[in-house]
Amino acid sequence: MRKPVSTVVVLAVILAGCSTQRMGAQQLERVAKDWSLSIRASQVIPVYPLTEDLQPGDVFLVQTPVEDQVKAYLDRGFLPMENLLARLPLQGYGAFYASWPDVADEAPLPPRRWQFPTDGTANFSRAPLAAFPTYNFSVTRSGGLSVAMPVQSLPIGMNLLDSASANGTITMKDAFTYALPALVIFQKLEAWAADNRAYLRQFEPRERVVNGRTVQQPFYLRVVNRVYLVKTVDVSLFSNRAAGATATAGAPRKVDLLDIANPTEAKKQFDVINEMLADSGAPAAAGAALPGGTVRLAMASARAVSLVETFARPLVIGYLAFDYEILPGGKLNAPVSTLLRLEGQGPATGKPIVPFEGCDAQCEAIERWLEADDANFTRLKQWLERRGVNLEPYQVQFGPYPELRALIVKELVAGG
Amino acid sequence: MSENVPPLMPDVPRNQVHRVVQTMMRDTRVRWVAVVFQTTNDAGDLFTVTPYVDDPTQGPA
Repeated sequence: MRKPVSTVVVLAVILAGCSTQRMGAQQLERVAKDWSLSIRASQVIPVYPLTEDLQPGDVFLVQTPVEDQVKAYLDRGFLPMENLLARLPLQGYGAFYASWPDVADEAPLPPRRWQFPTDGTANFSRAPLAAFPTYNFSVTRSGGLSVAMPVQSLPIGMNLLDSASANGTITMKDAFTYALPALVIFQKLEAWAADNRAYLRQFEPRERVVNGRTVQQPFYLRVVNRVYLVKTVDVSLFSNRAAGATATAGAPRKVDLLDIANPTEAKKQFDVINEMLADSGAPAAAGAALPGGTVRLAMASARAVSLVETFARPLVIGYLAFDYEILPGGKLNAPVSTLLRLEGQGPATGKPIVPFEGCDAQCEAIERWLEADDANFTRLKQWLERRGVNLEPYQVQFGPYPELRALIVKELVAGG
Repeated sequence: MSENVPPLMPDVPRNQVHRVVQTMMRDTRVRWVAVVFQTTNDAGDLFTVTPYVDDPTQGPA
């Protein structure tokens, strides 16, 4: 009967499409993770996708519990940059980079003086240098992997090789970094937090149930203090199979496979291909910068190609940051390195130094309650630990935490 | 130096030092407390009160 047969055919097409989509998505995620793992090996938190719009002083709100962040970091290889709250107006580059040429606290501050200098051409030559190791990978044509890789050299190289699969290396050249000390950023952050206390109070620690136990879930401010940028990426591809007459996706090639045994002919072929690559994305006006960067063929043979991709301006590939836990009342706790927290290295959390502010009515009530029974001090310590409050009892009692004291009086002093 | 050492508390007025010391000493980890003159302002003398778990007079091993 025809109707059932056509139904089966339609179902097969749909299922094949779903399977292809799922496989494609999985391969995209795997490639994103592989790229990020290579950055993480350099003890840097990866940024994915690459962007130039990330700099020291960027403040993000982290609403995910730490254990879920660690799981996401291990599964995906990177952390999504979500919930951008503020960009702190930082000063201090002149002092931190004292005697460094072309860095001062007068406008334009880094990175703008490098991104958009007065002569109009991005110039990071005076920025501090960085270096990254070479990254190895394997790639096939299936699954649209070119979309996941942050460099366009990869699909171009695959087309030149006319191969279904290849191994390759990516070398990040022309890498830079710049930063401000955590202390300088902390002072600006404290001022910003004081002005936005009401907003931060929305993210005080909350109770949630985990495995039948009620625990406190804290929220954090993640503040970037160092970024790593890269301007040039070298991509080398080595075909896994002998090149054949397989059809290529995209524009048909004008030249045969290159033969570098004949240098004169090879140079002509190189020039033709580089002209093709330049023309393929060339804007109408000559001299205008390409937003996606330029790609140039550096070396080619029957089974290997090397391309050099240069971005119009360096892009951030990774960063370092500190996490500040949001305490009751919208106050901020001592900073903890984000990288150490994510890598599970268990940093010794520094307790903040809290100045004496006074002893209000709640402080005196707590003092009388502590005096009444020695066991009450232990109860208070346990109460603070359960709620994830990283403060000593005397800091809570005499520090700027009236809301916290009121809660202690309500739950412990009055209720006990 | 032991881990989890309670941090110091600065800006303690002279007539409040005893209260801070009393709360610090409730912690059984704390064996010594240093009271050091910090500065003088309009309100009077201020002290920095520092709890110690290890004997601060012995110095590093």
